[in-house]
Amino acid sequence: MVQVPLEERARRIRRTILRLAATSVGCHLGGSLSMVELLVVLLGRVMKFRPREPRWEERDSLILSKGHAAAGLYAALAEFGFVDTEDLVQRYNADGSPFTGHVNAAVPGVEFPTGSLGHGVGLGVGLALGYRLRQRSNRVFVVCGDGEMGEGSNWEAMQVAAQHRLSQLTVLVDRNGGQNDGPTEAILSQASLVERLRAFGMSTVEVDGHDLEALGAALEEPCDGPRAIVANTQKGAGVPMLRGKGPHYATFNAEQLRRALASLGEVTP
Amino acid sequence: MTSSTTSSGADLLTSPEDWLREQPSLANRQVFRHTLARLADVEPRVVLLEADLAGGGDPFAARHPGRFINLGICEAAMLDIACGMAATGHVVFAHTFAPFGAMRACEQVRLGLAYGRANVKLVCDYGGLSGAFFGPTHHAIEDLAILRAMPGMTVVSPADGLETIQATRALLEMEGPVYLRLGRNRVSRLDVARPAFALGRAMCLREGSDVGIIAHGEVGVSVALDVATRLEAQGVSARVVNLHTLKPFDEEAILETAERTRLLVTVEEHSILGGLGGAVCESVATHGLGRRVVRAGIQDRYDSTAGTHEALLQRHGLESAALVDSILTALPRPRLTALAPAARRG
Repeated sequence: MVQVPLEERARRIRRTILRLAATSVGCHLGGSLSMVELLVVLLGRVMKFRPREPRWEERDSLILSKGHAAAGLYAALAEFGFVDTEDLVQRYNADGSPFTGHVNAAVPGVEFPTGSLGHGVGLGVGLALGYRLRQRSNRVFVVCGDGEMGEGSNWEAMQVAAQHRLSQLTVLVDRNGGQNDGPTEAILSQASLVERLRAFGMSTVEVDGHDLEALGAALEEPCDGPRAIVANTQKGAGVPMLRGKGPHYATFNAEQLRRALASLGEVTP
Repeated sequence: MTSSTTSSGADLLTSPEDWLREQPSLANRQVFRHTLARLADVEPRVVLLEADLAGGGDPFAARHPGRFINLGICEAAMLDIACGMAATGHVVFAHTFAPFGAMRACEQVRLGLAYGRANVKLVCDYGGLSGAFFGPTHHAIEDLAILRAMPGMTVVSPADGLETIQATRALLEMEGPVYLRLGRNRVSRLDVARPAFALGRAMCLREGSDVGIIAHGEVGVSVALDVATRLEAQGVSARVVNLHTLKPFDEEAILETAERTRLLVTVEEHSILGGLGGAVCESVATHGLGRRVVRAGIQDRYDSTAGTHEALLQRHGLESAALVDSILTALPRPRLTALAPAARRG
């Protein structure tokens, strides 16, 4: 099997996300694009899984706690073979399809439905506790948004992770600096996020969330307790047309899609 | 100290009635703990999660320490964690008080248990006003209305120790999310012959033709039986139905009771809005039965004055004497009812 470079996978995932933005319903564009490198490193380098056997017992688990970024997750699952990219683009929001605007567990590769914020860390703690009790070593990765860290249930769950030294658990925060109503700093500051994660007992590192090598190294570093990775990212990253300031939600017309794809270096039909 | 298998005595699973006779001082919530501990002896998938309300001397914690996790005071996280653990193949029982399980963690219950179809059994005590003197923060008068509205939830409210054992066993045997509602205080054993317990199937505890009394739970069923006895002394015959499973709702049993009697009465330790009373009214109206329903329950207000559990119930009319009066007042007299339409037409 030919190894596709991770950079190429990231570019293809972004291409799919842009196509989903150009459907009649659009997508949470900024936060889908900001986490592409996180998902590429997880699925392409770190995690064990079988795309044709999504419930494989030895798989590592990915929980997208920021479930509004469904387009980003679906596009990544398509890139890694869980679903078909063309089927995803054609049936996104189609009557009866599983591709809803917030993450749907009916999509292969999705462990839990999310979209209401503040659930992923607790679900991940539960998986890690459950695997430990069964003496299994499966790892669990939870991707949160920085705005989402306003939800208290995340912090409840991290206390439990620390108390039980859940080294199988990694929480990644996609710190893109934006949330629904505007800049996170202007609404509910997460400036002390790294310090707070550490104070809650999480082994925490801060990395450039678009640096594939830095992310991979952080995820592979041995750790004897629960780990957090604060990934500094930009909304709309990777699409030059958006200049790293992608909108929280967008519905593209055909011309916007053509320009966005062109700025990715894509020749559109 | 009590034990689910005393050296002298009966085994909880094989002889539950004998076991209960040897443990007369246990509240249902303690019976649940012994039952789960005994079930965990034979079912390795069972896990019990707590949010700092296990109390001392929990038999499950003593016998199965590796499968008992006291997470601390974090009910919302507990329910998410329960769903995560269930996804790794465990049957997760999560316990807390009803106001915190059904309401503080309500959205976790909705997302993970109901929508996510997790194999999690949420077990809550302090149902209704049983927390009495602890005040409305520790009462749960809205929980059944909320849980009943969640698609896919099984909602069970056992009446006594035997039914608590039967219900707990049944929950373990079924796949999917459950809300098991218990009270806080010791209750009497129902002194009545009863049919076999099956989730989702109401049981008729007494036949009668004038009044159909439908009840659930520790307070509801015993009040219903007492009311039926008192009505009999006044020449009124009452059918008593124990609807221990509020969801799935045994509508057939309700309609059958409506057809066989002239007045329906619901008795429950829950708000008169949205619980059993609401459910029975929905069915009766939907089927166009035109039957009046007397709803005995907790009135639509928070009760913040101190008092015993019994005193609080009395304030809300949840006691036999007051209910008998309401029933006799509401009971239609057959001949007058038959004449009424003609009189109106005239």
